[in-house]
Amino acid sequence: MERPWKEGFSKSITFIVTKDCQLACKYCYLVGKNSKERMTWEVAKQAIDYILDHESEFKEDSVVWEFIGGEPFLEIELIDTICDYLKTEMFYRNHHWFNSYRFNFSTNGINYHTEKVQRFINKNREHLSIGITIDGTKRKHDLNRIWKTKEMEQGVMPRPEEKHGSYDDVIKNIPLWLAQFPNEGTKVTISSADIPYIYESVLHLYSLGIHEVNINCVFEDVWKEGDDVRFEEQLMQLADAIIDGGYYEDYTCSFFSEHIGKPMDKVQENQNWCGAGMMLSIDAAGNFYPCTRFAGYSLRNKKPIIIGNVHDGIDKNKLRPFLTLDRTTQSPKECIDCEVASGCAWCQGENYDAADTPTIYQRATAICKMHKARVRANNYYWNKLYRKLELEGLREEYEKSKRKVKQEIC
Amino acid sequence: MWLYLVILLDDASTSYCHYRPHPQSLSQSGGRKSLMPIDTLKNGIRFGMKENLMIQFVYPERPLPEEYNEVVESIDHSKIKLVNATTPNPSFPKEGSKDADVLVVNEWDTLPQKAEVPIVIRTSKDDFFARYKEIFTLLANAPRVNISFTDVEAFTEADFETYKNVLAEIGKEVERLFVKGKTPQLNLLTDRMMLTQMNNCGAGDTTITLAPNGKFYVCPAFYYEDEKDCIGDLEHGLDVKNKQLYKLEYAPICRHCDAYQCHRCIWLNRKLTLEVNTPSREQCVIAHLERNASRELLANIRKHGTFMPDTEIKEIDYLDPFDKREEW
Ligand code: SF4
Ligand code: SF4
Repeated sequence: MERPWKEGFSKSITFIVTKDCQLACKYCYLVGKNSKERMTWEVAKQAIDYILDHESEFKEDSVVWEFIGGEPFLEIELIDTICDYLKTEMFYRNHHWFNSYRFNFSTNGINYHTEKVQRFINKNREHLSIGITIDGTKRKHDLNRIWKTKEMEQGVMPRPEEKHGSYDDVIKNIPLWLAQFPNEGTKVTISSADIPYIYESVLHLYSLGIHEVNINCVFEDVWKEGDDVRFEEQLMQLADAIIDGGYYEDYTCSFFSEHIGKPMDKVQENQNWCGAGMMLSIDAAGNFYPCTRFAGYSLRNKKPIIIGNVHDGIDKNKLRPFLTLDRTTQSPKECIDCEVASGCAWCQGENYDAADTPTIYQRATAICKMHKARVRANNYYWNKLYRKLELEGLREEYEKSKRKVKQEIC
Repeated sequence: MWLYLVILLDDASTSYCHYRPHPQSLSQSGGRKSLMPIDTLKNGIRFGMKENLMIQFVYPERPLPEEYNEVVESIDHSKIKLVNATTPNPSFPKEGSKDADVLVVNEWDTLPQKAEVPIVIRTSKDDFFARYKEIFTLLANAPRVNISFTDVEAFTEADFETYKNVLAEIGKEVERLFVKGKTPQLNLLTDRMMLTQMNNCGAGDTTITLAPNGKFYVCPAFYYEDEKDCIGDLEHGLDVKNKQLYKLEYAPICRHCDAYQCHRCIWLNRKLTLEVNTPSREQCVIAHLERNASRELLANIRKHGTFMPDTEIKEIDYLDPFDKREEW
């Protein structure tokens, strides 16, 4: 019998199968993307053998095997071989992850309909999660998610009239995707230039039939003067639209969560936010990272943090800082004393990349004013929603049936 | 708060700690062995005086020009020097090491039999396991002996076992000396008995290092590893980024630990875990074997009479505080 899926106790193991992608999204943190580094089967197999050979060191109840790129579906044949091997090996070894595993993908959706991808989906349907990234309305999506040109690989940026957005190429696959995965959400990343489109984009995604919109501001220091005010205005408009339009019954938007915006206890609520170190990422060279964000192609300023490789295994000393990191040790005083601290997220990789010294112990706070703006709009949302529900006598019913909002940050 | 300033008088100054004495990086860059310019030395001393720092001069093996000695004597200080390596088993002091406040032994064959100042023995684990008995005479005849391993990262599980046994053997000798009314001091065994709180190396927190190039470093090891890795210079002053991370409160593993005698080597931390505030497993296990051996020693000495009645070293069931992190 299949064991129940235990999200909270799962190991996330990521194969960076390629650094190539058809698109060249402007906000993409993968600053070192290139079309050369593709994982070979040999490396993938060595990684799997290492992981499965060391079962006692991977005690989590379940596992999520993630495939990312670049664009992972560019390497669907390799992925298919990996997944077949994983299934067979977990079975033969009677590994505790057999029947408690998932394969996860985050894709740009462009190749979703192709025969090879579809064959893979049908074969693994029961154990699959696939998220397609659409940024919102066509104008919003095409603002960032443009096709890559040959010249861009040589570092020559296209003129505005040469930029070709990818919205139409993705949108045609959405109905098929939603038919196959009706409960999947999409991930939206907000940078400074995207702020004016938040309201229309979330509603647009709802109109496409996507019920779960996981949206967050980038952690990088990109914010301009007044962005927080514009952001708050967008969220207020969105709050009105979700509540007045009754979307709250069936749809979620991760910007609105009841649990954010409260002070945090220094002792009781001292956990690290991000899961780096509990995860494992493997690149084409067979190197291990605590999370993909620590691989060279994700970093602007710092050296990669490599915690081992497929030949020598994991260097446990390099994991120690990740596994003992807590909130207060890495936070500046303003964050520890903050009245609205809860829900203010960070990314360990960005903290490291932005830090004054090569450390994961210096929390980046570029997101501070955006979080505070979000908290104000969020307070407004819940005050307005609960008042409405009370007046309609529906609050209790709502509490019982409300959809859970995922606090997705990466 | 800064308390100590280590001044490396020369690129070839002796190592007195875990790091290599003859830095590869510098010898690769043209075999440079430069003396600190005398003006840099004067400015360094002036800096130390203004900041109220206790100065420790680290000497090279070859003699300094006479004018340097005059400058050095212009401030209260201590001198760290290499034991002269000319004859086997030299008796202390040899010419040139006479006025040292701390003497460093790099080769077991140069270990003195007695000394009037503290002796630092830099050794690999294997040499120590093979020759530890050679310190017994010195223990009785020197104010203090410090052992500093040059290959902490190379300790294996089997080495931990050996180390435990070796510490027990040395413990017997220390106990014998105590019973005879002596008070030997050996960092590995007696420090923990005397301490009630952490007493670590303090690099980057209480101690900084001035190198011959006029720049400040967290400790000499940081200089020898990468000259660019400085934390300020004499001209512009100190600029220590993320200074808090050198403090115990910002070290998540160490702040839960009671192996008070541990070096908590900032340089090894960074080398092995990539973070200055996070120790390697090897460092923790070594320090806990010492801690537990100190506990044992304390109990054994007490069998002969009352000894430090207020001190208690608790029994614990771990050798690496990291393993207890769920309980913090
Ligand atoms: S950090 Fe401290 S213990 Fe480590 S080598 Fe430097 S001075 Fe020695
Ligand atoms: S034993 Fe480990 S935890 Fe304790 S002080 Fe030393 S390095 Fe830190």
